[in-house]
Amino acid sequence: MILRRAGMYILLTAIALAFVGPFLILLSAGLKPADQAVYSFPPDIIPRPPVLNWVIEAWTSIPYPTYLLNSVIYVGLTVPAYVIVSALCAYPLAQMHFRGRNIVFFAILSTMFLPGELMLIPRFLVVTQLGMADTFAGVILPGLLSAFGIFLLRQTFAGVPRDVVDAARTDGCHELRIFWHVMLPAARPTLAILSIFGFISVWNSFIWPLVVLKDSAKYPLALGISYLAGITGTDVRTLAAGTIMSIIPVVIVFMLMQRHVLEGMRGAVKG
Amino acid sequence: MRIPGQRWYTPYLFAAPALVLFGVFFAWPAVTAIQLSFFKYDMISPPPVFVGVDNFVRMLGDGRFWTALLNSVLFLVGMFPLLVVVPLLLAVLVNQKLPGIKTFRMLYYLPVVTSMVAVGIAWEYVFHQQGVLNWMLTGAGLLDEPIQYLLDPAWALPAVILVEGWKNMGFYMMIYLAGLQTIPASIYEAARVDGANAWHRLRSITVPLLLPYIAVAITVEMLDAMQAFTSIYVMTKGGPQDATLTLGYYIWSAAFERYEMGYASAMGLVLWVLMIGLAILNYRITRGRTVIA
Repeated sequence: MILRRAGMYILLTAIALAFVGPFLILLSAGLKPADQAVYSFPPDIIPRPPVLNWVIEAWTSIPYPTYLLNSVIYVGLTVPAYVIVSALCAYPLAQMHFRGRNIVFFAILSTMFLPGELMLIPRFLVVTQLGMADTFAGVILPGLLSAFGIFLLRQTFAGVPRDVVDAARTDGCHELRIFWHVMLPAARPTLAILSIFGFISVWNSFIWPLVVLKDSAKYPLALGISYLAGITGTDVRTLAAGTIMSIIPVVIVFMLMQRHVLEGMRGAVKG
Repeated sequence: MRIPGQRWYTPYLFAAPALVLFGVFFAWPAVTAIQLSFFKYDMISPPPVFVGVDNFVRMLGDGRFWTALLNSVLFLVGMFPLLVVVPLLLAVLVNQKLPGIKTFRMLYYLPVVTSMVAVGIAWEYVFHQQGVLNWMLTGAGLLDEPIQYLLDPAWALPAVILVEGWKNMGFYMMIYLAGLQTIPASIYEAARVDGANAWHRLRSITVPLLLPYIAVAITVEMLDAMQAFTSIYVMTKGGPQDATLTLGYYIWSAAFERYEMGYASAMGLVLWVLMIGLAILNYRITRGRTVIA
């Protein structure tokens, strides 16, 4: 029995290593001193001693602080806006009867079936026509409509008892007040889930900013890293250090909020 | 009864921001995409020129289009075991009641939350000629000579598929885990009393009861595979010799490297029809036993 359990942990750990290993290799490469080989048979994974000059190199060879700040701005502007847009749309879908409700529902649903590559081109043309090419607005606005967000919140709002809503209504509460003081507080866990998913997806977003942005000063970090990788002569250690730094914020948020992330996944599947 | 603060237009006001975004960034571009596929448009010398179905005819004779389509199909087939089968086993593994099991779940999910750019770069270190993968495979006697996976036309596509699969496995594992947690433990105990071993339990309890979740996994896998882009952009740029040129990458490069917006849109439309077709096919095969729309 104990043997079986030990075997199970060995298996679980081996698999964990397969999932974390590539990041550890990156971390190791980014910390190795210049006279220690990055690649060797057998792998020499412990930096002797760990050095931070590649971190500094990555930080200065591209405008790393700018990209970092841009990513923070993209997240800071996108996430609250997308959560609010989703919640506003989810409330009537969950708690009101109105003409065209099904049309709204199916319109939102249809967005899940439009392939990114197909939409990339015409959406770029639309954004250009609106004068938003190469702007923060052009990067942010198309990402604010999320079928996932709307459906998850609709489900949560639908769970708020009708009596509570009706009581508030007979008390003369304005719909906006009900939304703000009854619905949003009731949906706090769902709002947390959406914020974390939003954070992760905006932090990692790549293809759309790549298409919209010409001016590299507006790049988010993921795009900046790919730019760093594309510069010929970038040291593999510098690239490793820059890349590992770029994932630290998202990994920290994920680790702190993992319960919500895994909950959210469950909600999405059942939704 | 008149509800205070609610007029006939109240629901529409609430939905308005989402509906405006839908109109501007989904409906309008979708219509534009369909229109564009019948035009020749390079963005530099406007206006677009109507060419009828020329873009679609051109596709038929475009060898690279067929290469890309074939590669996309290979991508879909190659990712199937990685995203539909392996995650099911992982889910069974992490569904056990063991101390610390949540930590393992989290570690398996880690690649899902990191950017494809970072993942692609990390795997370039793994795939290096002197990298850890070559060390393991030559050490185990499976390879005589180290391979440059991303530069070898025979290996580049499997390598990219492996990375895409590895990155997303945790996501599919969670889909299955959600399903597993709906199966009461008493069923397994009854089976165990009847002498069913682990393989029997998997085959005759887990898989049948998880069918709706497997259907979801297959649908999502197909849509994911048909759209693979960032991994290819980061690691191979469609090369070597078009070995990793997928439909998604070809559309992107036609549009944003060669500015053939019309042709790229026409290919995008074909991709869209293929995806819808696959989704419907999957729905039919699994007889609608799916848990999400």
